[in-house]
Formats: sequence, structure tokens, C-alpha cells
Amino acid sequence: MAELQHFSGAGSVETVNYSSTLSSTEQDLSSQDSSQVPEAASAEVEVHDSSDITEETSGPIKLVAEKDQKTLFAVLQFLRKNNLGETVNALEQEAEKAGVKLKGDPASGSQLSTDEVSSLLSAYSNEADPSSYEDNYRLLQQCIETSLDAHKCELAQLSYPVFIHMYLVLIYNHHETKAKSFFHRFSGVLEDFHQDDLSQLSAVTMKSQMEGNNFIFSLRSNKYVVRISQDSNDMLKRYLEEKNKPLVQDIIQSHITLDVFEGLPRTRTQIKASAGGLCGEARQDENKVKVFYGLLKEPDIDIPLEDDDDLDDSQDGSSKSKKRKKKEFLSKKNKADPNAPALTRIPLPEIKDADKLEKINIAKESLKRVRLGGMERVAPSVCCYTFTNAFGTVTAVDISDDSSLLAAGFQDSHIRVWSLTPRTLRTVKSAAELSLLDKEGDDIFERMMDDCTGVESKTLFGHSGTVYALSISPCRTLLVSSSEDGTVRLWSLLTWTNLVVYKGHVWPVWGTQFGPHGHYFVSCGQDKVARLWVTDHHQPVRMFAGHLSDVDCVAFHHNSNYIATGSSDRSVRVWDVLNGNCVRVFTGHKKPVLCLAWSPDGKYLASAGVDTDILIWDIATKVMVGMFKGHTAAVETLAFSRDGEVLASGGLDNTVKVWDFQQVIWDIDTDDIGMQRGHATITDHNYLLSDFPTKESPIFHLHFTRRNLLLSVASFLNPS
Amino acid sequence: MCNLALMAESKTPGFWTKNCEKSGLAAVSTDSIKAAAESIGISQLPDQVSVRLANETTFRIKEIFQDSLKFCNHRKSRKLSCQDIDNALKSKNIEPLYGFVSKDFIPFRFSSGGGRELHFVEEKELDLNDIINAPLPKITYDVAIKAHWLAIEGVQPSIPENPAPEKQFSIDILKKGESKEPKTGIKALKSCHVQNNNPLISAKKPDSSSTSLVSLKPQFTHELSVEQQLYYKEITEAAVGSSEARRAEALQSLATDPGLAQMLPRFSTFVSEGVRVNVVQNNLALLIYLMRMVKALMDNPTLNLEKYLHEMIPAMMTCVVSRQLCTRPDVDNHWALRDYAARLMAQICRSFSTSTNLIQSRITGTFCKCLHDDKSSLAARYGSVAGLAELGPNVIQSLALPRLRVEGDRIKNILESPLLNAIDRTAAEHLRGLLVKHCGHVIKGLRQPPDLSEDYSNEYGYLGPLICQHITKLREQEAHKSRLLASAGLNRPAMGIGSRPSLMSTGSSSSQQNSSLSSSPNLDHQFSLNSNPSSVGASSRMTFYGSNSKTSMFDGS
Repeated sequence: MAELQHFSGAGSVETVNYSSTLSSTEQDLSSQDSSQVPEAASAEVEVHDSSDITEETSGPIKLVAEKDQKTLFAVLQFLRKNNLGETVNALEQEAEKAGVKLKGDPASGSQLSTDEVSSLLSAYSNEADPSSYEDNYRLLQQCIETSLDAHKCELAQLSYPVFIHMYLVLIYNHHETKAKSFFHRFSGVLEDFHQDDLSQLSAVTMKSQMEGNNFIFSLRSNKYVVRISQDSNDMLKRYLEEKNKPLVQDIIQSHITLDVFEGLPRTRTQIKASAGGLCGEARQDENKVKVFYGLLKEPDIDIPLEDDDDLDDSQDGSSKSKKRKKKEFLSKKNKADPNAPALTRIPLPEIKDADKLEKINIAKESLKRVRLGGMERVAPSVCCYTFTNAFGTVTAVDISDDSSLLAAGFQDSHIRVWSLTPRTLRTVKSAAELSLLDKEGDDIFERMMDDCTGVESKTLFGHSGTVYALSISPCRTLLVSSSEDGTVRLWSLLTWTNLVVYKGHVWPVWGTQFGPHGHYFVSCGQDKVARLWVTDHHQPVRMFAGHLSDVDCVAFHHNSNYIATGSSDRSVRVWDVLNGNCVRVFTGHKKPVLCLAWSPDGKYLASAGVDTDILIWDIATKVMVGMFKGHTAAVETLAFSRDGEVLASGGLDNTVKVWDFQQVIWDIDTDDIGMQRGHATITDHNYLLSDFPTKESPIFHLHFTRRNLLLSVASFLNPS
Repeated sequence: MCNLALMAESKTPGFWTKNCEKSGLAAVSTDSIKAAAESIGISQLPDQVSVRLANETTFRIKEIFQDSLKFCNHRKSRKLSCQDIDNALKSKNIEPLYGFVSKDFIPFRFSSGGGRELHFVEEKELDLNDIINAPLPKITYDVAIKAHWLAIEGVQPSIPENPAPEKQFSIDILKKGESKEPKTGIKALKSCHVQNNNPLISAKKPDSSSTSLVSLKPQFTHELSVEQQLYYKEITEAAVGSSEARRAEALQSLATDPGLAQMLPRFSTFVSEGVRVNVVQNNLALLIYLMRMVKALMDNPTLNLEKYLHEMIPAMMTCVVSRQLCTRPDVDNHWALRDYAARLMAQICRSFSTSTNLIQSRITGTFCKCLHDDKSSLAARYGSVAGLAELGPNVIQSLALPRLRVEGDRIKNILESPLLNAIDRTAAEHLRGLLVKHCGHVIKGLRQPPDLSEDYSNEYGYLGPLICQHITKLREQEAHKSRLLASAGLNRPAMGIGSRPSLMSTGSSSSQQNSSLSSSPNLDHQFSLNSNPSSVGASSRMTFYGSNSKTSMFDGS
């Protein structure tokens, strides 16, 4: 396919190939039988170690820097250890192409990599007196407490990372009892939202347990980032030098990155809003790249101005206003957005006649749209589809963009698709019958369907594990699903069969979503990686690596150029599809992120998860601009209304809440100095528009129809 | 398999982490390790080893739990299940625990002995034959989707699929300050105090006062869903409107719809307020319509009016004994209304009167009071007699007969007075007719022929001769009928015949009920031009959503 070749040509060759090599590594791993079990378990971290590092180098990988060479050696070493000869060869060939000499001395290479791996841990080895840690930590606390109020909050950020690393040093040096007493003495004073991590940490009580533990690995392989103002930083430095406490100084130097910014220290709310990441906040330099968040220019389609249905029953005046409205609508769409990426930045599928028809439909429907929120605070109407007799086995739901199909994935690995309209679900005719049809006829799409097969719901069998995510393609003929069995499957909704099984993720695949223009879809999973696929290739075309823990959810930007991912490391990242780079990192969630939604204008990203808060991120200014508090259990789904006026959220607390999103945008003070420095700017206004409890039915999915009717999907849990 | 047991111990995600963060004490004890070791044949496990093992086991179990929490999250559930743990084990390349499928709660048993304490899961031996021969379990219902309105323009309709509005009450009150209260149309009905629901009351209280009334009340009155409000509006408008066809449909709906219990208080208030207002305005037609509504409500087998009798009975009583019910008493047929309401009253007595509520004695007391009161008008007297007559011949015999002479004199005085006007004349004539008809029937049973006009006159005064004539006529008819029947070879007892043309019967209560029911259509015809009972289709169209669509799943088996 020419398009795709063009695509890989557009990106950097190295990235693509490198990624595919990595993926084949994992495929090999997955195909190995259980004799490889112990290696495979430890393999996970190391594969990602390498990918983490490649991520750090940012951009197309030019394998020149010495560091990269080391990385490559480490990868090769790992591959050899696991007898993945084919992959080794492939990687070597790649490397040679890139002009790197690999064939030097394999022995020295292996030596290097073992050093590399062990050096991470050995950073903790320390000969200091174990009892001095408590004194040192108390001194740090004193420093925080005695500092000026303005700096107190900033310096308090240090207490958590210093605490965990001191604890790990004690454990590493076999001072188990000291470590335990240290933990009990100081864990109580830390912020509440660290409790999850602390409980994970407290489980580690011996050095042997530090190896192979994902959490510990993330902590020790990444520096904890603390954002701090210039003044506070100076104060801290002065204090540490004064007291001459090398232990704290060492830890700050080796395990903590102080990201210093100019200007006034942040307030407590600001700090708390963006705290919570597994390894602290995002560094400022991680968010520097410009993001083309604008919407793509709509292709010129002649949308018929005269709407027959409207003219019949409407008065002259109203039809005039409608026309005006339509003109406004059209002009808005056709204006080029300065923030939009070029149409050809990412190759998109050609627009077919059916797509044009669809676009006309969308335009027509949107004229009948209800305006929500606003000054009148119009609350939406909500239609709830409740699963009955499901007993909590529904695990994933999606509704097609035109609200005509509903797909649900179940715990017992099957998928069911329902028609929400009177149109039944039909199967395409057999090949023999199809050959008799006149393929040039206008109604070919109608005639190729077999009317006798029309039913209300169809079942798809194929997965061998719980289905965690589903997505219906914009053209409504394809469905992609991801499952606990580590596969992503593509289904045809014309033949109702499985078309492709995408193997690549080794562990459960938590999320998947079709791109807004079709053709592309993304998936993400427990292997900490998100992957971009095209429907006609069985290999991923991009891998997005950088999260420190499971990638729990993924969402395509409306212009197909970016994806957003949410992770169990409590961060939200935005990735560029063109080159696979991470362009934004947002921290602020205190627990795993489970759902994401892009605002219709593409400028804002909403995220929510287990910590029940909904956070709004501004892509352009790179800051948190809103926080909606109100849910009492995990938020499972978010949906923006079609015109971006309101945001609906639903979750396990059995309620649908509607938030006045437009008000949040109005309330943003763009001149705020803190915002320009990238501090979270949130107000404590209550933006809740309405709150609709259901009857013991957790909300799994929310969807606004093109006319802004809110559809919610819930599953009734029998209370017995 | 004690780590199994420990694994299964945690029931909710919160439970485990909470324990951990609170104390960090949740740990596998060395005793458990030793017990496990013994179970696989290692008797003397050194202490050091068991401590080490316990430590390691705790760590591994915690790790597995942390992983299984992820699976629980992604399953979109708040409850950790065995499958989550299986999945976590699988993702660690450990073989999952097969056959461990307890759905909810695992009952641990405690046992102690020899200075050791143990918690274990009891695993009974099962006979495979029993399982094979056991009857097949019921096939579970297929997963289905049901659509309903969670909210309509921001307002949650109260339908079985939505949580009860009472639960939300506190939230509503809190929100009242910020969200604007809908002020117009039927939405106002929802929040209004019950009395304001009545479209018949011309002077409506301003809505603002009614909303404040609601927010002050600690308990919320029944909140009707939007559909119910619409239904209420439609029905009440149709029932008192001008279109007879629509009225017939509305009454049909009231008499047959099974889901009206929730709205009964509204209808009851509607009737009582309607009567109150229209009696003052002497609006005969509306009063008749309202009484027909009462009849329809009474006919509905799913409704129990007992709780609303305190509103219904006064309204009906008014329609029976009111001094004036129409603007032109000389021309308008308000007598029919009195008869109709009296019949309804009798029906109420039969249905609801008990020895504790004494409805019948209270109603007869009211009628008697009216009859004994010298100042009450002739129309009121007519109503009282009609009311008493509907309650049965015994009532007439004991309460009306003694008054017959007095009433006769009164009628005579009026009819023979020089200032006689048309109103009084019709009233007196109607009363006379009624008394003659009912008393005559009773007296016929009391006296034996021959019927002599003088005797009657002596005993009953002015009305005596008329009654005498009436009885003679009755006896002739009876004799004629029995002759006819005899000639036809069908010698039926007279009682059987009497049950058909109502009122004449002295039979059992069942035949009385029968009579009152059978007589009502006559009156309906009297008022309705087109009372077509076949409008079920139309009325079912009016049936609102949720009222009778019983959903098995929301009943919470």
C-alpha cells in the first residue's frame, strides 16, 4: 500500500525499524513456552529499561552517542541470554545500517551491560551507619519546618522521595530491622496520596525482594522529579551545606532531580494538584515541543444548504435563522486553524463517497443539536441503556459515533453487538450470491447484505480472556477489541467474523481505540507500551514507550496526529504519532488513570481514574486548568458534548455527573503568571451542572449523540 | 495451601490496602508456614527458615494482590474476585489456581488444638454421582439491554429504573438555591403543594410561595414523574372537558389502568376541590363529571380508595344533600346527580364500612340529620331520602317510614300554599314521588292486601293514598307477571325478577351490588352522548411509561 510506505518514509526509518525489532522480541518471548518462565518474568523490566532509555534520547534515534551504544549492547546481551538469535541478527543489521560498530568485542559488550544493570542497584550500597539515617531524616524535617511559610510547602515535597530512597538504602544494605523502624517512624507524616506507594514499599523487606519488583525498579531507574523555585533551592542548598549532612545530600544528588524555576514559590494547592506521579512531576523540558492541537481542515464537501425536512414544518423566520446558523457552521469549519497540523503530516485514508455522505449527515444532525450548559445551565437529557442479567460480567462498552451500534465485551471473553436503531444487524451475502450482483449499482451496499440474517444482536467469539476494551471504527464496519489474552483483534461487522489477530502486547491489553479517520488504531497494556497499528498490517507501526507502569487507557486526538495515554504511574502522556515522541507529560492524578477524553476543539484533555478526580489539561499552555471533584468511586468514562459545552462523567459510584466545561474555560486567567510558568491553575468553584444517580448500576460508557443527547451504558448489579 | 486461604481472605480491594497502610501488619505468620510444611510432610522446620519463608510469602502475596487490583480495576468492578487473582498469577507466569471459583465470600473455619490455632477452608468430599445425577440448574437469563430515561432535560423521571426520589431529596434541597426552579407549565406541578395541582381552582397561589412550602417541609410529598404529570393533566382535562369522547376514554383509563395508585391522592384532591368550587358556582355539569370520575376510580380493581375516603365522602355527600346544585333548580335535572351520588355513596358503604370505621352509620346519621332538620330544603330532603333508599329497604323502614307523615304534611303545605313557585313545586313533586316509590315498596312487604286508601291515609297522612295506589299497582304488576310466568311454565320466585330492575329488590347484598352496578350505565347514558366503552386502544395510548411496564429485573429478586 503506497500510503503506508509514504507513511514510514515520512517518519524516521530508524524509529520504525527499531520499534518493530523490539516488538518481535516480545513476540518471541510470548511464543516461548513456560520453560522460559523465570527469564520472561524478569525480562519485562529490562526490555522497558531499554525502551525507556531510547525514549530519553528523544526523537529519531541516532545511534552515535556512547550511551546509546551501551544501551544497544545491553539489549543484545539480553537477547543472547534468552536465545533470541533471529532478533539479535536483525538488530545487528539495523545497527550496521545506522553506522554503529557492534562487532567489536562481544565480551566487552556483555561486560558493559552487566555493569550497567548492576550499577543501578549498587547506587544504593552505602557504608554509612544505619542509625544515622533517622537523624538525617529528622534534620531534613526540621529544615522543612523551620523554613519560611512560603518555602515550606515546596521543601515538603522532598520528604517523600528522600524517605523512600533512605528506606531502600537501608534495605539494600541489609539493615532490615532499622529499615522497619525507620518506616514506622516516618511514614505517618507523609501525604495521604502516597499511601498506596508506601504500602507497596512496606512489602519490600529484604534485598532479594528488590530485584524483579516493578515498583522498585521504576523508583531506582528514574530520578524523582521535584519542581522547586530558585529561592527554595538556594535555601535548601545552604542548609544542607551548613549542617553537613552528607546522607541527605547524597540521596538528593543521586535519586532526585530538582527542576528549578524562576519566580515565586508555588502555593500548597498548586503543589498538591500536580503531585502524585510515581516519580514526581514532569520536568519542564519534557513539555517543550509545540503540539499541533488544532483540528484538520474539513475537506470541501458540498453540503446541501436546503434541508427539506426543515422547510416543511418550520416558519419563515426560523428557517432563515437556521440558514444563518448553517452558514456560521460552515464558515467555522472551513476556516484554517493556525494550530492545526498539515493535512499531510500523517497520511490519512482517502475520503470515499460513503464518508462524504456521512459528513453531510453529521452536518445535518448538528444543526438540530441542543445547546447545553451556557448561561441557562441547560442540563442534558440522558438515555440510559442498562444491561440486565449480566451480573457484573460486562467489562467494556463502546457506541458507534452515529449512535447506531453498541458493542459490549464480557468477562467470559465474548463480544456482543447490539443495534440501537430499528435497523437489524445483517450479514453480507455469500460469495456466490455476491458475484451475481451488479457492482456498479447505486444500491450495491444495500443489496450486498442478506436481509434474512437480520437480528437485533450478534455475538463474536474469539478471545480467550476478559475483553477489556472495544472500539467501533468510524465507518461502522470494523470493530477492534483488546483482551486479557494479550491480543488485539479486528472484527468485521459485515461478515461478523474475526479478520486479524494482532499479537504484540505480551501481557493483557487494557485499552484500544480507533482513530477518528479510521485506518489507524492504538492499543495499550500491562507491558507499559502503547502501540499504533494500521488495520492492514499485523505489525505495529509505532510504539510509545515511556510510562513507568501499565498504560491503562488511550485516546486518539481528533486530528489523528496525537494520542493520549493514561497510566498506573499516575501520569498522562501525549504522544506524537508522526515520530513516536512523547510531547506532553502531565502529573496530578493520585491513582491510576482509567479514562481520557479530548475536547471537541482538540485543545483540552480530560482525564480521570481511580482517584475519582477529573482533571482538565490545556495542551497549549501545558498546565492543569481544572479539577472536578465529586465522584465517590473510580471514574470509568468521560465524554464531551459535541460542541464542548459540558463534560459528562460516570463511574462505579453509580452516578452520571455533568460538568460545566465551558465555564472552566471562561474562568481561565490566561495572564496568570503561574500559568505561564506551568503551574496548575485551578479554582475551587463547583462546576457540577447535574448529577443523575442510577439504581445500583455502575456507569461503563457515556456517549453524546450528534444532537447532544447523552447516552449512558450501565450494568445492573443485582443487590442480592 | 494456606497462602490460598490468605489470598482469598481479602474481599474488597479496599480491605487489603487499608490493612497494609494502617499497620503493615498483615502478614503470614510463621505458624501458618509450619502448618503448611507439615501438610506436605516436613515436620521440623527450623525457625529461621520459617521466618524467612513467612516474610517471602507475605511479600509475594502482596505483590500478587497489587497486580490483581489492576485486573479488578479494568474489569470495572469494585470487588476483587478470584478471577482477578488468577489473572494476576497468569501475568506472573504462575499457573492459576484451578477450580477456585467461590463467587463471594469464603467461610473460614477456625480450629485450635495443641496450642496452635488454624484458619482453614472446609473442603468437603463430593460424590461425583451426586453431581451427575443432580437436576440441571435453571438456565440463566440472557443478557439484555433495556433503555430508559435517566434524565429528561436535567430532571430525573421517577420510574422503577431510577432510584427512588426520596433518596435524592436532601440533594434537591441543597441544590435548590443554585438551580432555577421551573416556573411554568406542568413542571410546576411537580414541586407544587398538592392543592395547587388543581386546574379547576381559578385563583392559583403564586408558585414562589409553594416552592418555599416544599423546602420547609421535612418530608417530601410524592413526586410524580414527568409522564405521570402529563397523564394527570390529560386525564383531568379530559374528564371535565367538553369532549364527551375524550371523557369516555379518560374514564375508561381511570377505571382500568393498573398503575394509578401513585396518583390517587392527586385525583382524590382533584375531585374534592372540584366539588368544593363547583358547588359554590352551581356548576351541575362539572359536578356530574366529577362524580363519574369517582365512579371510574371506584371501578378500578387496582385502586383502594380507603385512604382517601375522608376527601371523597364529603364531596359525594355534598352532591347528594346540597341545598342547591344548579343555577336553575326548576329546569335542571339535578335530581339525577343526587340519585347517582347516592348510589355511589351506597357502594362506598358496602365496600368500606366496617365495625370500626362505622362509615354506614355515620352516613345514615348525616342523612337523618338533614331529614330531621326543619330548615333543610326540599332538594336536600330529596337527597337524604335517596341516599337512605340506596342503603336498602331496612334503612328506609326504620328511618324514613316514621317520618312519612311529617314529610307528607310538609309537601302538602307547600303544594297547597298560595305562594307556590315552580322551584318548590318540582322539588315537592320529586320528593313525593321518591317517598312514594321507596316507602311504597317497603310498605308493600309490611302490609297484606286488601289495600284501602283510608287505612293508608290514617297511618301515613297526606301521602297515604298515593302510596296505596302505588302498592296496588305494584301488586297488580306482580300478579300479572307471575301469571305470565306460570303460563309459560316458568314459575320463578318473585325475588329473581326483582333483582334485575334494581332498587325494587329486597334480596341479598350480592344482588344489591349487582343492581347498583347494572343501574349505573343507565345514568351514564343519561349524561353521555357517546359513551363507547371500546376505547381501550385510546386509553392505552395514554398509559404512561413505567406505570404498568413491570420489569422483573428491577424488582430485585
